[in-house]
Amino acid sequence: MPIETVYCKNPDFVQRDVAGECILVPIKRRLSDVNSIYVLNDTGAALWNRIDGKRSVQDIHADFFEEYDVTAEQLRQDFETLLADLLSIHAIEEVSVTDGPTR
Amino acid sequence: MVRRDSLRHLPDRFPLSCQWEITCRCNLRCVMCYTDCFNRTDKIREELTTDQILRIMDELADAGCLELCLTGGEPLARPDFFDLYEHAIVKGFLITLFSNGTLITDTVADRLAALPPHGVEISLHGFTEQTFEAITQVHHSYARCMNAIRLLIERRVPLVLKTTAMTLNRREILDIKRYVQRLGPVGFKLGEDMRPALDGSDGPFRFSLTPEEVETLNRQDPQLSHETCQRQRVPAPPCRSGMRSFHIDAYGCLQICSGNRISGYDLRHGSFKEGFYEYLPTFGCPWKGEAAPILLRPSVMHV
Repeated sequence: MPIETVYCKNPDFVQRDVAGECILVPIKRRLSDVNSIYVLNDTGAALWNRIDGKRSVQDIHADFFEEYDVTAEQLRQDFETLLADLLSIHAIEEVSVTDGPTR
Repeated sequence: MVRRDSLRHLPDRFPLSCQWEITCRCNLRCVMCYTDCFNRTDKIREELTTDQILRIMDELADAGCLELCLTGGEPLARPDFFDLYEHAIVKGFLITLFSNGTLITDTVADRLAALPPHGVEISLHGFTEQTFEAITQVHHSYARCMNAIRLLIERRVPLVLKTTAMTLNRREILDIKRYVQRLGPVGFKLGEDMRPALDGSDGPFRFSLTPEEVETLNRQDPQLSHETCQRQRVPAPPCRSGMRSFHIDAYGCLQICSGNRISGYDLRHGSFKEGFYEYLPTFGCPWKGEAAPILLRPSVMHV
């Protein structure tokens, strides 16, 4: 996924903190996920908290690179996996910079 | 992404799961009901207001509560039910709704399907109209309940039908079970235990089955028979109520569970966290012992 891509959160997902774990609960569930909730690991939670519909993947990547002791390649791989996971459950969607979220 | 069946790092004492009796109001008058004695105007006036419930609900969410069972009485008998329900959904609770089904119209079913609960459990106490209404004591309640079942199935709302075996319906229990099996992806639960009414009277026990009648019932069905054997072979796990689950009654009283209301903490005047962490551990329970941790019911995806 291009690093200039901007993502926004799907408002149909509610973030919950349950005993220190960051959980995403889908509000408008499909039958397939009616019994599912999603738990983010530490990196996933930090990424989720930075997704705001304005900042690009590159901007968030730069934030992480300053804050965490991690190689650029490892960070790129983690981001790719996490964003793919969040996209697969429709928790985030790509923002078209001029038109708002793409559908 | 890995599918998991439990939350990791959950403390032994944590307010994960709440059963909330949001009202004792009900449009039915089931003969064995333990809350119906408080289904009267003076007691209804004492019940929590909308604002009180929403405030307490927010406190539960802040404390990390995830599973919320809304029960009654009949929860849908509260005029503000959907204010409460939709607030709970938006706060990210996994909601189970206990209902008699008879107030579930097309409109209600549509609203539930729009923001689906984790599950709906409907009490189906008779297979025939005659038996059903001998228990509910309300004409046309059978047709309305059956209609609700159809409406929720059509909308693919996760559904469980449950019944309590008692003297009035013991000859129809297996018919109910077979009916539920024919419905496809609908669960079935059978209970046998009555409990005293909230005012302390033992009226509901008039309809209890004798141990011999329960045994006769279970012998007629391989699955029930198997489950009974399993229960007798493996000792029931010690009660975990009050550790990761708790109960709130219609008046805002925090309790260990719906079956143990000996002690309570008034959530109208105190905070939930104080009640759960400081008072609940001091409440007595004659049935409680050591226990292994329970697992969360919903599947969990670790991203």
